[in-house]
Amino acid sequence: MSLVLENLSAAYGKLQVLHKINARAKPGELIGLVGPNGSGKSCLQKTIAGLIKPDTGMVRLEDQSIHLLAPRLRAQKIAWLAQERNTSWALPVRELVSLGRAPYRGLLGKLSFEDENAVDQALVSAYCLDLQTQNFDKLSGGEQARVLLARALAVGAPLILADEPTASLDPYFQISIMQSLKDEAKNGKIVIASLHDLTLARQFCDRLWVMNEGQLVADDKVGRALTNAVLERVFKIKTINGEITRVQKPGKI
Amino acid sequence: MKVFLLVFFCVMATLLSLSIGALNIPFGDLVPALFGRGDEIHITIMQDLRAPRTVLALFIGAGLGSSGAALQGYTRNPLADPGILGFSATAALGAVLALYFGHQNLVTPAALAGAGLGAGLLLAMASNKKSATVLILAGVGIGALATSLTGLLMNFAPNPWALSEIVYWLMGSLRNSSFGAAILCGVLTLAGLLCLVVTGGDLRTLSLGEDTAISLGVSLTRLRLLLVTGVALCVGSGVAVAGAIGFIGLFIPHILRGIFGSDPAKLIPLSALGGAGFLVLADSLTRVLSNNGTVLYLGILSALIGAPFFIWLAFKAGRS
Repeated sequence: MSLVLENLSAAYGKLQVLHKINARAKPGELIGLVGPNGSGKSCLQKTIAGLIKPDTGMVRLEDQSIHLLAPRLRAQKIAWLAQERNTSWALPVRELVSLGRAPYRGLLGKLSFEDENAVDQALVSAYCLDLQTQNFDKLSGGEQARVLLARALAVGAPLILADEPTASLDPYFQISIMQSLKDEAKNGKIVIASLHDLTLARQFCDRLWVMNEGQLVADDKVGRALTNAVLERVFKIKTINGEITRVQKPGKI
Repeated sequence: MKVFLLVFFCVMATLLSLSIGALNIPFGDLVPALFGRGDEIHITIMQDLRAPRTVLALFIGAGLGSSGAALQGYTRNPLADPGILGFSATAALGAVLALYFGHQNLVTPAALAGAGLGAGLLLAMASNKKSATVLILAGVGIGALATSLTGLLMNFAPNPWALSEIVYWLMGSLRNSSFGAAILCGVLTLAGLLCLVVTGGDLRTLSLGEDTAISLGVSLTRLRLLLVTGVALCVGSGVAVAGAIGFIGLFIPHILRGIFGSDPAKLIPLSALGGAGFLVLADSLTRVLSNNGTVLYLGILSALIGAPFFIWLAFKAGRS
C-alpha cells in the first residue's frame, strides 16, 4: 500500500497554490513536510486528505484515486489532524477522541467493542490515557494537542496527515507528539507531518518533502534534503561560523 | 438519574397542566375524566380543552427545545435559537400571509414554508468562513425583514377583525386548541424531531470544525438538509398552531448543557424533553394568571422569561 501524488495542482479559490507535485510515500515512513510560510504545505495536506479537489492530477492510495472514494470510506483510510486546536464545545476527552470513530458509526452513533478498543489504543499511543475523564477545555495547550492527536490516531487509518502538530508547544510536548507519530510509522502507517522546526524534522523524520512556492523542491533522506543550497534558497537562512543567520534579500536591510 | 429527573419534571408539569385552570380538577380525577368517567364538567373540560392543549404544548415545546439545541450545535454558538435567528418570524410571516388572504386552511403549510425558507437561507450562509456574530446578525436581519413584512400586511389589513385576528394570533396562545390541531402538530413535530435526532452524531463531530468533520466522512449538504427540514417542521408546525413563542430554544439547551454536558447529540433529545416540560408549565401559568378576566398570552410570557435570559447570556459572553 503506498501513496502516490501524480502531477498534483490545486488552488484555494482562485489562488493557484500547488503546481504539478509528484511524490510517493510507502508504509513505515514518517515524512516531514517542510517549507516557509505560504509555501503550500497546508494546501498539499488538505488536497491529500480530500478536502480540496485538485485542478489536475490525482492522489492515489492503494491504487485508488482518493477523490473517487465515498466520503466515509475515504475517512477510514485518511486521518487528518488540523492545525487549529480549538473545539466548539467542551467535550470530555474520551468522547472527543471517540469522534475519530465517526467514519465507522451507525445511524444511532453507538460505539462498538472494536471502536472502544481503538479509542483506548489511541489514548495510550498519544500518552493521554490519564486525561480521558477530564474536560478538554480544562487542559493545557500541550495536553490538548496530544488529545487531538489521539483523536486522529483513533481513526486507525493507514495514512495519517498532521498539519503542524508541534506548533506553539514546549519541547517536552513537541517530542511527545513526534514520538507518537514515529511509533505510528513504525507500526506500518504512512505519516506526513508539516513542521517548521527543522531540528525536530532532522531528529524524527525518515524523509523530507521540501516545499517552496507551491512546488516540491526536494524529496530525500533528511541529511540530503536540507543542503546549504536548499536552506539558502528556500528558507532564506544560512550558517556562518556555526551561527544561523538570515540571507539578506536584495535591496533590504 | 438526571434523565429520570427530567422525565419526572415533564410528567409532573403535564399533570399540573391537566389539573389547573379556571376550574381545578383534582389529580385523582384526571385519568377517569380523560376516559369519560366521573363528573360531566370534568370530562368536557378534560377532553375538549385541557388534554389537546397540554398535548400541543408538549409537542411545541419539544420541537422548539430540540430545534434550539440542533441550531446551537450547528452554528457552534449558544446564542442560536429559532426565534433569534428569524425562523419563527419567517414562519409567522407565512402564516399571516395565509390569514391576510383569508385562507385559514393554508396557515400550517404557509408557516412550514416560511420556517423552511428562513432556515434554508440562514444555514446556506452558515459556514466556518462566516463568524458566529455575522451569522446571528444575518438571522436578526432576516427576522427583522419578516417582522416588517408582517407589519406591512397588518398595515394593509382589509378590516379591523382581520387585523385583530392577526395580532392575537401573533401573541402566541394555545387557547383554541383542538385534538385535530394536536394530531397534525404532533405528526409534523415527530417527523422534525426524527430529522434533528439523526443529525446528532454529525453535529458532535462538527464541534472539531467543518474541515475535520468532512475529513471524518460528514456530509455537510446532508446535515444542512436534515437540519432545515427538522427545524422547519418543528418551528413551522408550532407557529402554525400557537403563533410565535420565542426563546425556549435558547434557554432550555443552555440550562441542560450545564447539567448534562455539551454533546449536541445528547442535548437534542434532552432539550425536547426539557422544552416540552417547560412550555406545559408556562402554559399552565398563563391560565393561572389569566383568571381575573384578562388573558395572558403564552408568547408574551415566554418572551418575558426568555429575553432577560438572552440579555444575561450576551452580557456573560461579553465578559468572558
